[in-house]
Amino acid sequence: MNAQNTEKIVALNQKPKKEKKSKKDNRPLHEQYDQLPLKERLKAKFLSFYFLQKVVLWIFRMVLMIGISYIVIYPFITKIAGSIMAPEDFLDITVRLIPKHFSLDIYRAVLTEMNFFSALGNTFMLSFSTAILQTLTCCLIGYGFAKFKFRGRNILFLLVMLTMIIPHQTLQHAMYLQFRNFDILGIVKFLNGGGIEFFGWNVKELGEGVKTFFEGIDILPDEIPLWYEIEEEQVALQIKQTGINIANTYAPLIILSITGLAFKNGLYVFLLRQFFRGIPDELEESAYMDGCGTFRTFVQIILPLSIPMMVTVFLFAFCWQWTDDFYITLINTGSAKSSDLLVKLVGKIPESLQITVSSDPSGLYSTSIRNTIALLIIAPLVVLYAFCQNFLVQGIEHSGIAN
Amino acid sequence: MTNDVKINDSAVAAPKRKRKKIVSLDRRKARAGWIFVLPFVIGFVVVYLPLIYQSIQISFSEIWMGNDTYGMNFVGFQNYYDALFTDPDFVQTLLSGLASLAFDIPAILIFSLFMAIMLNQNMAGRAVFRSIFFIPVVLSTGIMESVAAMDNLNSYMDSAEGIDDGSGGSTSDQLVSSMDLQMLFANMKVGTELVTYITSIINNIYGIVNRSGVQMLIFLAGLQSISPAIYESCKIDGATAWETFWKITFPMISPMILVNGVYTVIDSFTTESNSVMVYVQEVYNAGDDEISTAMSWIYFIIVMLLVALIAAIFSAFVFYQRKND
Repeated sequence: MNAQNTEKIVALNQKPKKEKKSKKDNRPLHEQYDQLPLKERLKAKFLSFYFLQKVVLWIFRMVLMIGISYIVIYPFITKIAGSIMAPEDFLDITVRLIPKHFSLDIYRAVLTEMNFFSALGNTFMLSFSTAILQTLTCCLIGYGFAKFKFRGRNILFLLVMLTMIIPHQTLQHAMYLQFRNFDILGIVKFLNGGGIEFFGWNVKELGEGVKTFFEGIDILPDEIPLWYEIEEEQVALQIKQTGINIANTYAPLIILSITGLAFKNGLYVFLLRQFFRGIPDELEESAYMDGCGTFRTFVQIILPLSIPMMVTVFLFAFCWQWTDDFYITLINTGSAKSSDLLVKLVGKIPESLQITVSSDPSGLYSTSIRNTIALLIIAPLVVLYAFCQNFLVQGIEHSGIAN
Repeated sequence: MTNDVKINDSAVAAPKRKRKKIVSLDRRKARAGWIFVLPFVIGFVVVYLPLIYQSIQISFSEIWMGNDTYGMNFVGFQNYYDALFTDPDFVQTLLSGLASLAFDIPAILIFSLFMAIMLNQNMAGRAVFRSIFFIPVVLSTGIMESVAAMDNLNSYMDSAEGIDDGSGGSTSDQLVSSMDLQMLFANMKVGTELVTYITSIINNIYGIVNRSGVQMLIFLAGLQSISPAIYESCKIDGATAWETFWKITFPMISPMILVNGVYTVIDSFTTESNSVMVYVQEVYNAGDDEISTAMSWIYFIIVMLLVALIAAIFSAFVFYQRKND
């Protein structure tokens, strides 16, 4: 919009100058301009329609940008304001964004009474490991789709997109059952005497002899002990005939991450595929000429080039896992120490604030506590974002997505 | 026939010596490609297909859970029937959800394209604005969405008078409402549909800004990849910025519009704050797992159809600069 107007004005401004030029002399325009008196020069510069238009456009753009930035930031401002208010400020109708009675009670209560830091550690472990795995897996998959032609590539890519289109809520009950009875193609079931099953039909139905034969196979232990204990008691994975119960561990999310099926991985694959497509083939060809294999080329040539995009994907994966509550409430429902995660703190009220909350009629104080917990949850993400946002833009800028 | 046999013979005989020596580059690359996408293929077959199969199975049956085991009884289309005809609210939620998305999706697309063009220009503080606009992408997801949904503090701080003031508005409030956008547009006599559309967008601007982060990134990337030389030659030929936008920027960015259209549909249909998703989740939490699964399959089929429709419509208008495969 800006460029359009400037061009119009350039066109407008050039007309009178050209007339002048033909009347007076044939010197270049800038020399003529230099010899004008200062007053005339200032007039020409600041009183022109061109300048006015530029100023108006600049103001318009700034107002728009600052306005939208304000819309984005405002909820965070109210959350911060609410989190440093004392309870009596919520009853005082003259208090809005700036507290009268400054207090850090909520922060103190949340940080000391809610085992916040162990939850932080666990969430970090979970988010970091899944994000790293997702980034690497999606890099592999994206590179495979970007640079190699093989039969069935397009169909496979459609399947990747399909995993993104099917809402995970559709699969939530299946996931609930699957991860409580985890089985890889019926192997656990077979080894535990369950026979072999195809679409509801079991081999055992063939006859008594077959049934006793398959039930005789029972080589798996009932429990696999894990490496940590809760309250002096060894934690173990139960193995049932229908599969292993891996709920309440990080295993389901790790499995989904390794196979590129976790939340929004289709998007990452797409972004990385576009990025790799933008890297010229000649680079790889020269690496092949020098005797690199495909995998070595990928690790030593391609990956170092694509760090900005990898950081972008990592940032997305990390942040989206960090704030995810869908999978956590679906899978990590147990009381195990490892399922002590940040998102589970939301909605809880620290004990020392319980009385104040129950005496608050408007419910604003409990909202403020929830907001404070949310702020504390995203605080590490803000720091991470501050470091990574440059990569975010870089990664996208060099991705050459339109090719 | 005899020729065929001969060829086959030689083909069988030859590899004994040559097998180790030559595998054509294309085949080797194809094999490497399979190895690269192997994690997905394994995951899809081992984890995802069983999930889909089981989910479809659940939607057609009744589950019983024992202590150590579980099973399903096939009940046919009962769950689908219940979802569509017995459940009082589902169809209505579905229809209103679809209607609101029909409004939101173009708004998100246009807004994100507009903002991407703004952010692509040289101006003071561009980096700051960029990092602010992408904040919602990383921060306003998952739990933050539900915190924001329950945040009555936000509107409290916004309100001009106290919460328990029943008198009906102060002077500043009246001033604001008399300058209301709706009034302004209504006086312009442009038709009520357009007015309600625009005002709903303005009222919903927070949601739209929040949901257009990824789209902005993708558009920005598309804009960055347009060669400046094209713009330069346009300028030399005397095209105005308006013409340049429609003749250069728009066609060049049209693949991104397709991608973003599909992504926006998927994203807004599957986010947790979507009204249909919320309803399905409510039904799920109430214990009717089978019906909620059936509902989400109905929903998925509608989403699929819409995505296919949008992809078909958009891809007719998409311009590809060069086709390499």
